[in-house]
Amino acid sequence: MKPLLPAAFAVLSLGIASPAMAEVSALDLVQPISDYKLYVSEHLATLVDNTKAFTDAVKAGDIDKAKALFAPTRIDYESIEPIAELFSDLDAAIDSRADDHEQAEKDPGFTGFHRLEYALFAENTTEGVGEFADKLMQDVTDLNSRIADLTFPPNVVVGGAAALMEEVAATKISGEEDRYSHTDLWDFKGNFDGSRKIFELVKPLLTDDADFVAKVDDNFNTVDATLAKYKEGDGYQSYDKLSEDDRRVLAGAVNTLAEDLSTLQGKLGLE
Amino acid sequence: MRADDPEDKGLSTNRRRLLLGLGAAGGLLASSSALAVTATDPASQVADAPESDETQEAQAFHGVHQSGVVTPRPAFGMVASFDVLARDRAGLERLFKTLTSRIAFLMRGGEVPELDPKLPPADSGILGPVVAPNNLTITVSVGASLFDDRFGLAAAKPRTLDRMSAFKNDALNARLCHGDICVQMSSNGADTNMYALRDIIKNLPDLLLLRWQQEGSVPVLPAKPGAHHESARNFLGFRDGSANPDSRDEPEMNRLVWVQPESGEPEWAVGGTYQAVRIIRNFVERWDRTPLREQERIFGRRKATGAPFTGQVESDVPDYSNDPKGEVTALDAHIRLANPRTHAARENLILRRPFNYSNGVASNGQLDQGLLFICYQQDLERGFITVQNLLNGEPLEEYIKPVGGGYFFVLPGVVDDTDYLGRNLLAATASPAT
Amino acid sequence: MSPPSASQPHGNPQSGLVRFGLAGAILLVLLGGAAFYYTSTLRGGDDASAKALRVTISANACDPNELTVPAGTTLFEIANASDRAVEWEILDGVMVVEERENIAPGFVQSLSAKLKPGDYAITCGLLSNPRGVLHVMPSAAADAEAAAQPTLTAFIGPLAEYKVFLTLKSNAFVKVVGALSDAVKAGNVETAKTLYPASRAAYAEIEPEAARFADLHNSIDGIADYFAQREADPAFTGLHRIEYGLFAQNNVDGLASVADRLVADAATLQQRLKEVKTQPADLAGNAERLASAAASAIVVGEDHYANTDLVAIAANVSSMRKIVGLLGPVAPTGAKDLVANLDADVKALEAKLDALRKGDGFVPYTDASVEARQGLAQGFSTLAEHLGVLNVALGLS
Repeated sequence: MKPLLPAAFAVLSLGIASPAMAEVSALDLVQPISDYKLYVSEHLATLVDNTKAFTDAVKAGDIDKAKALFAPTRIDYESIEPIAELFSDLDAAIDSRADDHEQAEKDPGFTGFHRLEYALFAENTTEGVGEFADKLMQDVTDLNSRIADLTFPPNVVVGGAAALMEEVAATKISGEEDRYSHTDLWDFKGNFDGSRKIFELVKPLLTDDADFVAKVDDNFNTVDATLAKYKEGDGYQSYDKLSEDDRRVLAGAVNTLAEDLSTLQGKLGLE
Repeated sequence: MRADDPEDKGLSTNRRRLLLGLGAAGGLLASSSALAVTATDPASQVADAPESDETQEAQAFHGVHQSGVVTPRPAFGMVASFDVLARDRAGLERLFKTLTSRIAFLMRGGEVPELDPKLPPADSGILGPVVAPNNLTITVSVGASLFDDRFGLAAAKPRTLDRMSAFKNDALNARLCHGDICVQMSSNGADTNMYALRDIIKNLPDLLLLRWQQEGSVPVLPAKPGAHHESARNFLGFRDGSANPDSRDEPEMNRLVWVQPESGEPEWAVGGTYQAVRIIRNFVERWDRTPLREQERIFGRRKATGAPFTGQVESDVPDYSNDPKGEVTALDAHIRLANPRTHAARENLILRRPFNYSNGVASNGQLDQGLLFICYQQDLERGFITVQNLLNGEPLEEYIKPVGGGYFFVLPGVVDDTDYLGRNLLAATASPAT
Repeated sequence: MSPPSASQPHGNPQSGLVRFGLAGAILLVLLGGAAFYYTSTLRGGDDASAKALRVTISANACDPNELTVPAGTTLFEIANASDRAVEWEILDGVMVVEERENIAPGFVQSLSAKLKPGDYAITCGLLSNPRGVLHVMPSAAADAEAAAQPTLTAFIGPLAEYKVFLTLKSNAFVKVVGALSDAVKAGNVETAKTLYPASRAAYAEIEPEAARFADLHNSIDGIADYFAQREADPAFTGLHRIEYGLFAQNNVDGLASVADRLVADAATLQQRLKEVKTQPADLAGNAERLASAAASAIVVGEDHYANTDLVAIAANVSSMRKIVGLLGPVAPTGAKDLVANLDADVKALEAKLDALRKGDGFVPYTDASVEARQGLAQGFSTLAEHLGVLNVALGLS
């Protein structure tokens, strides 16, 4: 014997003038958001473990191992970027690039993954960066506990799908992100996986928008297939192997995904 | 001021021919009231120069204050920062005097001296043989680095002038920052500004070395007589300069912008002002993909009208008194952070006079454009630095990235022909022996 | 009011001790019930104009057994005319909508329930008694109010966070129950005894939501008191049945199937928590329900044999702390002091518990004085009240 579903809770009218918006109940987002937090928690746990192994290798002076671990360690950070960058101090400490700092590679504020990347790949050394390795481990651990305590804002999660594509468009397509190691395609994959995950989680709420869903899936598939051409072992070839043609294909698909995914918040009734 | 009539001077035959013999093509025609904008004239050729009757607009050079600060902003601006190559005070003095005379000419307009054709021409020739003022103002300011041990100026450094240091969101490119001397040009035409820059460079090769330079513009609106003036829009599509202090209000400018006597500043600095320049990249593709509501929430104003959420028109003052939780205007909205509209905040008002810049394509394939932010205040800490600190961490930071600029002090004005830029500064630091 | 006669458990060496404990417990019920009755009539009595609907619980049934009320708020008065302490619940399928626990024999307790249109079941006394029916008819006022609900967007984040919490904690519950079951089935009484309070605590952390599944709540956490034949009742199972075997009988006889059932129930609970769609009102609502139930049950206690009640109570408080933390950000400006109250209420409970600590854990419940228990009961009662007020302030009630 069940009571009737309260009509008011089942459908939430959002006061937006656009008639094209299908009506999605706000509470339908609870499941995708909680699933996303569980996804992020898993990736963070992996990130913590991998960062330990990476920084241990750096401190032990095992340059080959450290180089090999650099890109696979970053992939979990890149896939959760929308949440990580809510903590801008940690994001800057973990992931900033030399050109974010006035004194570039020499700037004392230049720390984190790319500082170690510079030492390993540009200077070809593990000397003198023990402190940076320790700091990276500390910052990643910090990030993990801060995210555990965070109630994920729904618009950050839903908007994260587009935000990850913006990341790719701004730094990965051009090879700016990992300029010493040229492992940008790994990071690209991380961003891509993170974006697609969010889209998959909210897809069930987009039943009225089959064309939109099909178009987004199509573009995701294009990116996936193009990236896949550069797979090497468990990872990816160097960024300089990316052909000009494929770079253009990726740029087009990524820009279009950024455009389309930027409508997700609106379609799902978030502001 | 009208430009000199070319027919009355002892011009060379060549020049006469140039000026009098031709028709619409090649058209430099001075002071003709018959001149009209000929854009739709079917006789004009593809490569003809556009014509305008504004080229004779001119600003006064002499004054207690330099021009280009409270002067109404025209459509085009430029900031050029230089390293001073002078090795001693004599060189610095020559630098200032030469700058003074060049600027006086450029702002007045006039004939360009004709040299022997075997020699390089006296100028770039961009504006033709007779230079029109075109509403040009040139503002000269000095950086903290000029007050080092080179010229004995250290004791006279303005109190809050320091080398710009990075804020949290900055990604300062050393090649786009700081400078000993900064020169700001604004006029009705990008080419007028460019002409001025090239003139200064040409005339001071041993004393000035160009460090960085950025041009910009603001969209021109059709004149609407009687209608309320609107702030020009920036490249994020929002009005930029709403809530600027009234630059025509002299007491207000004396309260906020111009250094006053007995204010803790060196005496020579009275009549000058601090200038903060910031080259702020805008991530426009990403911005254009952001929902309108979010854009408005980030700024704290409606995009179309520029009105605050608590008002109807751009000039309405935002009212936060009934909105302590930020439900109407978000607590971290740009305008609310920059100016919380408390009584105390009245001390931190700055006079903004920015331009929009576009530099082509960045290395990642996205547009390299943004805001050439320029502001003036009588105390750099109370003004720009306080306001920027209030803005640190704002949601807008997702879309902007300061990459260059610097802090400078605008020299007091040149009062007459015996005066020159920086005279008071040099006099204040002259040792008895000099 | 004459004390009811205590029925006796049969045939075990510790029956005398248990009987004493039970008699003492009933005394405590009277004291606890009296305290609660007072506060609940204060609350129920506010609505002087509303007519209270009286339901009398006899040994085997409710009278009336079928009720019809309009949608909206109804004030019920539950009179316990039986000789056992009873609880009274309004159920939507298996979900508990409202309940009163531990109504002492001869006592009347009131319950104000806001109900949406539909058909509900009502429990009538002992768990084995047949259930009654409650029809809630649509009403214009209720419809209008439902239409005027606040925007729910603000709750998405907290509800998602709560969901993650429930997922992680129910995973932990499954894990510890598995370990308990293994120890029981291996005959390892000592190990099982140490795992018992941890299992209860793991359940207590998710109890605000879990307790709404009446069927699972009874089979996982049901206490002997509500079964006709108490400890001997064949329907008595779950954690407390294991507790009885380990602590009262000091063996694992007959516990293997109980352990299997418990493991299965924990898995079912885990699945249900994954699927449940918690509503905004449920955040404070579930906490309020649990706090109310705790207030009425604390004086008597639940772990009659192990006396480890404080471990589970501390976990309940921890779950309250989590929920209050989630509600803070969604409370409107005007409700900020309500949130501050809730914070203070939780802190007060934590302080009271701290006073009962011993070593790494807590004193046995038998060492917790009546005053201490009443203090905890009062603390939960105040918290329940403030949670109710908050839901009203949030426009959800």
